[in-house]
Amino acid sequence: MSTLQLWGQYLPQFLAGLVVSLQLTGAALVLALALGTLLVLARTGRIRILAAIATGYVEVFRAVPVLVLLFTAYYSLAQLGLRLPGFWAGVVALGAFYGTLYGEDMRSGLQSVDPGQREAAVALGLSNGAVMRRVVLPQAFLAFLPPGTNELSNLIKDTSLVLTIGVTDLMFQANAAAAATFQPMDMFLLAGLVYFAFYILLSRILARWELNVQRRRS
Amino acid sequence: MSSDVVVDIQGLTKRFGPRTVFEDISFQVHRSEVVAVIGPSGAGKSTFIRCINYLHPFEAGRIRVLDHELVGGGGPPSKATLRQIRMQVGMAFQTFNLFPHLTALGNVMLGPMETKRVPASEARDKAMALLTSVGLADRAEAYPRRLSGGEQQRVAICRALAMDPEVMLFDEPTSMLDPEMVGEVLGTIRGLAAQGMTLILVTHEMQFAKEVADTVVVMADGRVVETGPARDVLEHPTSERSRTFLTRVLKPLEAAGDGQASGPGATTALGGDHP
Ligand SMILES: Nc1ncnc2c1ncn2[C@@H]1O[C@H](COP(=O)(O)OP(=O)(O)O)[C@@H](O)[C@H]1O
Ligand SMILES: [Mg+2]
Repeated sequence: MSTLQLWGQYLPQFLAGLVVSLQLTGAALVLALALGTLLVLARTGRIRILAAIATGYVEVFRAVPVLVLLFTAYYSLAQLGLRLPGFWAGVVALGAFYGTLYGEDMRSGLQSVDPGQREAAVALGLSNGAVMRRVVLPQAFLAFLPPGTNELSNLIKDTSLVLTIGVTDLMFQANAAAAATFQPMDMFLLAGLVYFAFYILLSRILARWELNVQRRRS
Repeated sequence: MSSDVVVDIQGLTKRFGPRTVFEDISFQVHRSEVVAVIGPSGAGKSTFIRCINYLHPFEAGRIRVLDHELVGGGGPPSKATLRQIRMQVGMAFQTFNLFPHLTALGNVMLGPMETKRVPASEARDKAMALLTSVGLADRAEAYPRRLSGGEQQRVAICRALAMDPEVMLFDEPTSMLDPEMVGEVLGTIRGLAAQGMTLILVTHEMQFAKEVADTVVVMADGRVVETGPARDVLEHPTSERSRTFLTRVLKPLEAAGDGQASGPGATTALGGDHP
């Protein structure tokens, strides 16, 4: 069988795998953004102990390989009695790791806003909440978008690690097809192409979005 | 000048850590009075006017703006007091600080909509009227980065005026501008003074101070070294410290000669025969 025929035969499995990869990406992204927000709030807030915990968390989780986090979430938590399905172990591990990166991106986005902006808003008589909502966050968001989208494309690629705990994502399907056909080269090439196509599509959409936001403000 | 006090400052002292920026400053600003604060760089002029709307806390003294009072040293003022004072005190900054994500119109509409819950249509009408009054009606939909420095500063003044402040603070409003734009901004400020707005203005534009200010306050070495009617202080300073400062500011300008001065912005040299 030619490569193309093989690809045609396995494409449905690959696409099913892609759907799992996307669900994993989406759920991990939501968790990472929520966690990142909490980390920023804790680190910039007034409660010392929370700030220290958040800083410690970021230092540790940023330094550990995602694969270690994944095995911890899947195997070690199970030994402690918390048995997560593979998919959710993946969401937790990826979310826990990417939350530190998103937290840092949000923090530098906030820091990129000129202090004069806050002062001008305060001088107008705006409440602290209004200063954040109407002046600081809209500007911080623009600074957050480029590193934020970069983080997302890395997250998509890192979802392939869940193959190791048996989640039937795109990489899992490629691996299974490689074993069944004895054509690992062809099958991993197809997986690469699907990841790549998705990556191109997503980065185009995000780049256009970014451009739109920027254009609306000039 | 009426005896109606708008801003009353008593014994104001400001420190940054161990460093005292100024100590025991007292003076009053009456309704419709124009006060020019001058003095060498680093004298604490910016810090001083920023205490008035509590952009900086201060260590001692008190500042009363109409019915609301800030007291130094103790805890922070109540949110309500701060809000009232900031709504009554408008400010224009040296670097304009327009909100880059909002149009000129959006910048001017924001204050009333956020603080007074003014409906958008009403805020828009008012903002449009203000922008028109400073000659920027056709720039209303432009974003700040598309505006010249002079236009940005005029929008920033409108943004503050939209709150109907009782007093306006200006911190060197023209020092970041190209010379040809200084005149348009000074013209706007002159218009406010003519309408009876109470103004406190940090400036290096001595000719403008002489023409528009009622009172000049000279700050140097962490205190007010001289204060009095504008013309007296600028032409016949009595304090040694203000004499050295004024000589230093004015000498280079006079030496530069009339040839360099041009247009409505030619308001720098003291004692010239400008309009
Ligand atoms: N946020 C700050 N923290 C510490 N020192 C400051 C701060 N702002 C101003 N200063 C210091 O206070 C002094 C007065 O500054 P400033 O009020 O800006 O003077 P001026 O406006 O007269 O040039 C300067 O020595 C300056 O370095
Ligand atoms: Mg200054």
